[in-house]
Amino acid sequence: MIKVEDLHKSFGELEVLKGINEEVKQGEVVVVIGPSGSGKSTFLRCLNLLEDITAGKVYIEGEQINSPQADIDLIRQETGMVFQHFNLFPHKTVLDNITLAPIKVKRLNKKEAEKIAYELLEKVGLKDKADSYPSQLSGGQKQRIAIARALAMQPKVMLFDEPTSALDPEMVGEVLGVMKDLANEGMTMVVVTHEMGFAREVGDRVLFMDHGIVVEEGDPEQIFTNPQEERTKEFLAKIL
Amino acid sequence: MLADKMEILKESIPFLLKGAFMTIELTTFAVVIGIILGTILGLARVSHNKLLNGIAKAYIEFFRGTPLLVQLFLLYFGLPNIGIDISAYFAAILGLGLNSGAYVGEVVRSGIKSIDKGQMEAARSVGMSYPQAMQYVILPQAIKRVIPPLGNEFIALLKDSSLVSVIAVKDLTRQGRLIISRTYESFLIFAAVAVLYFIMTFIMTRIVNYAERRLSISD
Repeated sequence: MIKVEDLHKSFGELEVLKGINEEVKQGEVVVVIGPSGSGKSTFLRCLNLLEDITAGKVYIEGEQINSPQADIDLIRQETGMVFQHFNLFPHKTVLDNITLAPIKVKRLNKKEAEKIAYELLEKVGLKDKADSYPSQLSGGQKQRIAIARALAMQPKVMLFDEPTSALDPEMVGEVLGVMKDLANEGMTMVVVTHEMGFAREVGDRVLFMDHGIVVEEGDPEQIFTNPQEERTKEFLAKIL
Repeated sequence: MLADKMEILKESIPFLLKGAFMTIELTTFAVVIGIILGTILGLARVSHNKLLNGIAKAYIEFFRGTPLLVQLFLLYFGLPNIGIDISAYFAAILGLGLNSGAYVGEVVRSGIKSIDKGQMEAARSVGMSYPQAMQYVILPQAIKRVIPPLGNEFIALLKDSSLVSVIAVKDLTRQGRLIISRTYESFLIFAAVAVLYFIMTFIMTRIVNYAERRLSISD
């Protein structure tokens, strides 16, 4: 599904990703953990080219996305992204937030797009908020709408960039719940998060990143109960 | 004595009003040019195309860095000198419009820059192209933010339009001077001219405030 070969990313002099090799299989839920500054968000953002790639190759379904021939707008339609700060469009209602891209990018008519939107609102439990504006929603509701917005393009992969980090603690659960449902439906997901409970319960594989490399990876049980690397142990000791 | 002055003022009013309407007409056309040109310049200033960006920047710096009066002279006296005929009326509109475009361009640029970059990322992440993201996500939000500074810009433009009186356009200031050349009542007439300008800017301020309130409703 996703294949990453020797991915490097630099911001000016600073090298943030120092050669990442990874593969994500169809239906797999990969959770990326690591201290801040480890490059985990940058790694995720390279997967839909929100960051341009300094060196290396990223393939999605066999197509190299960072080649000059690649149609990046088309690729992004198939890789939904959920942001830490939701990034809902404040000037549009919830319904319009969800239908904007299906109508403008996929050229669906309004009726079709709204049908999909209502199904998704049902799924995230916010059908009654269709006509609200983002400013009228709580953080947890905003994030659930943001997930619905990304799903409206019917992506093949969902990328989550610290989706619960900006939420009040009591709202974390509702967002993780939606993500869990999504994983159970077989969605391929890459999730950058600090929610170790989620990683353990939902993740098929955990990557621990530090200083721009994947230090250790494995199934969640093994990483959390029996980490092999010193840096992984240190990190887990601090957060668990 | 006072009755004489009142009589002069009364006779002058139709001419002054005619001038005021000319001022409004010139400003309106200049605002239209300014908005179109300024939006293009603003978009060029935030684009990643270095050439476009450079051209827009040079344009803005030139028009902001030289006096409007000199720009008007350049159009009205300069162009005929190199074989391009231009009427005073057209030179006035063009001069005010080109000048206003530079200021509007800067306002549009800062308006776009003020929108959180997460908005562009979110729009792109669902597959929108850059122009689509601008059109449907960034600009609708930026417009709300630029209404107050743009309003101030156009009020300044209306006042600056008095400069066109020196290139023989019969705007409000010009009409006032023509009346003074016949009557020698410079205090009275310029006071009347000032009052008329004030009424116009006062009304414009109200319109801008109204637009600002209307646009902020969905926030």
